[in-house]
Amino acid sequence: MSNIVLPIVFGLVSFATLLATIRIISGPTIPDRAVGLDTATTITTAMIVLFAQIFHRAIYLDIALVYAVLAFLGVIAIARYLEGGM
Amino acid sequence: MAEILQYFMLFLIVLMLALALFAVKTKDLLSAVIASGFISLVASIVYLYLQAPDVAMTEAAIGAGITTLVFVITVRKTKGKEK
Repeated sequence: MSNIVLPIVFGLVSFATLLATIRIISGPTIPDRAVGLDTATTITTAMIVLFAQIFHRAIYLDIALVYAVLAFLGVIAIARYLEGGM
Repeated sequence: MAEILQYFMLFLIVLMLALALFAVKTKDLLSAVIASGFISLVASIVYLYLQAPDVAMTEAAIGAGITTLVFVITVRKTKGKEK
């Protein structure tokens, strides 16, 4: 089961990361790039959980937790910059 | 399974290279900050693959969170465009 599912999941995650990267590189305005970064953050959190499943180590889930809590900081800073505050 | 992981890491590293080239070439400094934030995000995944979860956690906390914040504040205090 895992031999079938994991390659498909890796393909999907790679495709999603590629799409977010294309949006970050070619996005004409800054809000496009900020949304691309936010999407990439969510995909990366899912990727870390996938690694925890593959390596059978529960400590990797803590990294996903820390990452999900702290990755908002950058996007919020960019949003505040765009709104003109800060 | 190991081969798939190796190809996946190759894909991620090529992605990091493309983003680094973009961050160097672009004239808009905020775009470069966003690209470097994504680079440190992908680097955290690579550290995780190399069996270094503590380094990956530090990279995720400092590289993607605090560094982006500090750089955005710095861009705010300057003009935000390269000459």
